[in-house]
Amino acid sequence: MEEEKNARIGVFVCHCGRNIAGVVNVGEVRAYAETLPHVVVAEEHLFVCSEDGQRVIKDAIKKHELNRVIVASCTPRTHEPVFKTAVEEAGLNPYLFEMVNIREQCSFVHEHAPERATEKAKDLIRMAVAKARFLEPLESMKERVADKALVIGGGVAGITAALNLARYGFQVHLVEKKPYLGGKIADLGRVFPTDDCATCIPCVEAYEPRRRCLYSLGFALPPNLTIHTSSEIEELTGYIGNFTVEIVKHPSYIDVERCISCGLCEDVCPIEVSDNFNLGKKKAVYLPFPQVYPHSYIIDVEACDRCGKCVGICPTKAIKLEDRAEEVELQVGTIIVATGYEEYDPSDIKEYGYGEYNNVITQLQLAKLLNHMGPTKGEVIRPSDGKRPKKLVMIQCVGSRDPERNPYCSKICCMIALKHALAIKERHPQVDIEIIHKDIRLAGRNYEDYYRKAEDAGIGITRGNVLKIDQDEKSQSLILNVRTFKGKEETLRADLIVLTAGLVPSKGTEELAHILGLSIGPDGFFKELHPKLAPVDTAIGGIYLSGCCQGPKDIPETVAQACAAASRAAIPMAKKEVTIEAMYSVVDEDKCTGCGLCELTCPFKAIRVEETEKGRKAKVIAASCKGCGACGAGCPQKAITMRHFTDDQLVAQVIALAEVTA
Amino acid sequence: MTIQENFEPDVLGFLCNWCSYASADQAGLSRMQYPPNVRIIRVMCSARVDPTIVLEAFVQGLDGVMVLGCHLGTCHYMTGNYYTERRMKTAKKVLKNVGLNPERLLVDWVSAAEGERFATLVREFTEKVRKLGPLGEETDLELQQLRTRLVAAKEALAQQRIRWLVGRERELAEDKNVFGEKVSQEEFDQLMLQTIEKEFARRRILLSMGEDVLSVKEIAQRVEASPREVLKNMVSLERAGLVSVVGIEGNSPKYRRVGG
Repeated sequence: MEEEKNARIGVFVCHCGRNIAGVVNVGEVRAYAETLPHVVVAEEHLFVCSEDGQRVIKDAIKKHELNRVIVASCTPRTHEPVFKTAVEEAGLNPYLFEMVNIREQCSFVHEHAPERATEKAKDLIRMAVAKARFLEPLESMKERVADKALVIGGGVAGITAALNLARYGFQVHLVEKKPYLGGKIADLGRVFPTDDCATCIPCVEAYEPRRRCLYSLGFALPPNLTIHTSSEIEELTGYIGNFTVEIVKHPSYIDVERCISCGLCEDVCPIEVSDNFNLGKKKAVYLPFPQVYPHSYIIDVEACDRCGKCVGICPTKAIKLEDRAEEVELQVGTIIVATGYEEYDPSDIKEYGYGEYNNVITQLQLAKLLNHMGPTKGEVIRPSDGKRPKKLVMIQCVGSRDPERNPYCSKICCMIALKHALAIKERHPQVDIEIIHKDIRLAGRNYEDYYRKAEDAGIGITRGNVLKIDQDEKSQSLILNVRTFKGKEETLRADLIVLTAGLVPSKGTEELAHILGLSIGPDGFFKELHPKLAPVDTAIGGIYLSGCCQGPKDIPETVAQACAAASRAAIPMAKKEVTIEAMYSVVDEDKCTGCGLCELTCPFKAIRVEETEKGRKAKVIAASCKGCGACGAGCPQKAITMRHFTDDQLVAQVIALAEVTA
Repeated sequence: MTIQENFEPDVLGFLCNWCSYASADQAGLSRMQYPPNVRIIRVMCSARVDPTIVLEAFVQGLDGVMVLGCHLGTCHYMTGNYYTERRMKTAKKVLKNVGLNPERLLVDWVSAAEGERFATLVREFTEKVRKLGPLGEETDLELQQLRTRLVAAKEALAQQRIRWLVGRERELAEDKNVFGEKVSQEEFDQLMLQTIEKEFARRRILLSMGEDVLSVKEIAQRVEASPREVLKNMVSLERAGLVSVVGIEGNSPKYRRVGG
């Protein structure tokens, strides 16, 4: 783009009440702006962002026939859209607008040097004026949005989001890695804050919170919701509105439609596998739990030796050991990620002996024991001898709030511990329970009641740090070395220890992030676009987050977030089209040699080398381009221009800065 | 150059929209005070900052440049700052070739929440540049000489051989080349250094020639290099079509620059 020779620039300097004018001499800055080349008018206003301030801009555009507008006020990160809209309403292309930040970068940070803050404001405006001459009008594009959605993960978050979207009337595909739905709660008994059965949570109707068990076919499958179990995402291409998703459907070996769960296969199966999590043994073909959905037996692929006994006995011919993985391709407009969490594996903490001592378990294992559908039908036992423990100790913050492991608070573990402690006390008041914690954090609504109830029930809640756990070889009881709050070291005995392990992202989160192009925070969870302003959006348009994949959450929060993600995803699908930002890179085909370095650089697959009439040339897929400009800044031929942040524009800013200061 | 009293360095900062620019906003909202020497240019990603633009800032006489991006691994555009890191590493090497202290270019990472870290980086960097003095203080070059060298350095960074190496570094040093061989980081750095030196020398030669018709010896005098080195570069430049032999004086060919 050539420099605009006939640029007519208007500069609007904001007082921001006293926020800017209290430090920067706005009058002086305005007068200076007027002296700059191509500036035909410079005005000041108490609040340029106000209705009145915007009118001043619009009037000036018309009166002075402005073709470039500069506002010197606060940060473009919050206010650029306001002014862009105003400029557009006055009939000017919104990309002919440039913003100067003289609040966060001048008045706020140089309060004690008002003169230098004023000089700096002048410099910044001069730089913007120089850039403005090179600004070019850009047109954003409209793209059609497919009214189909993909939800990844079939736990509370995924099911809620999928059901909501289905009720909106969109075609929804729910993809779950495991052979059955339910996610983590499929293993749980009671959940807080209602202390009711976990499995009915995900099927609460949006406006009709009646109780329906997910597994007693209350999960009335809407016809526009398709469930893909044993499936994983392989590849994603495209962009908001037009995603193409490759999923691989692993063989389940049992036809869900035919299986009547008679259990004959399990009876004849000769293979027994030890199941640590369930504290017992299972066959190579098994029913994970009685209410599993889709209701079908499952074959443990790794354990099964393909003997075929089950095939012979199955009365409905539901078992097909020759099943192969299938590839399924889906076209969707939006995607909701709801891949949940994993319980932190405490075997990493050697001092606690998890995995070594039988009677050290985790809260998820305890939840399984407490589940009346679980292996012990709700009885809490010591794994070593099957007896009910007399003294049970829970240790909080295992692998959580631990600077060496996971520095964050996992948020829900205090409630889990209290819920479980109360559940045990309810049935067996004689069991002595002690919770050793760093802090008890119960910030949710009515959560404090659990604390009060626990105190009333005589549950010991002690602040301290468990340094080491040893095992008494004979009784397999455990000896804890505790440093109390006051710094004293004490010894404690327990029959059963429950480690309240924190939450970590699901296995495969990183791989999925790579496939989808999502960012991950330092804690390993998916990163939202903005913690406050866009908590369920991601940096990739059309992909949203729901549930614990974005950070630890309890069920009420997860359900709320899933509804939020569904409504966010519904917006582009309901509108049927999206506007694609005009800030994307363009290739000068005459300079491009088709070397492909840009293709290698782009993390969004938005640029690729194609065979053209002129030979191999890079092509930009504008809708996929995020506008970072990494391709252009590395192009060996300098053949790529990042629109709205061109070399000419940036160099103009640099030169404008130096022409006065240096 | 003479040491200026009360020297106030001119510092330019390239900040990415998502992390470092946001951290500057954060610093502002928290009223953290820092020296008013820095002027900020917002880019969407630190990877947008072409190293030639950084060199342009020095050509224009600015005393220090900061390029700040998101922390590695948290780039809004996934991998952008890894490219920034490698490109700026190269820019620093080129600055060293010019004779400048590479510390005049600061490359660092700040998250959106780290307002205090941003303010601290500005304070520390401003002080560092203040101590280094005005641009060129560390060299004994005349201002014009320094400028010519910086222009040569800027042009060198626009050359495809350097840009290719920078772009492929991660792949070459971390993965394998097309022959399945792994290039060690030392080997790569050595190659990079040689390439920078060559390109820098060639650009200096071209800049020094102007419109004149010159012999190798004359060019060698202008760029303060050995005639032997210059001759080698002249052969390459001729092959690239950037100079041509316009006559022979005795045994010595005379060259003239071709095109821009």
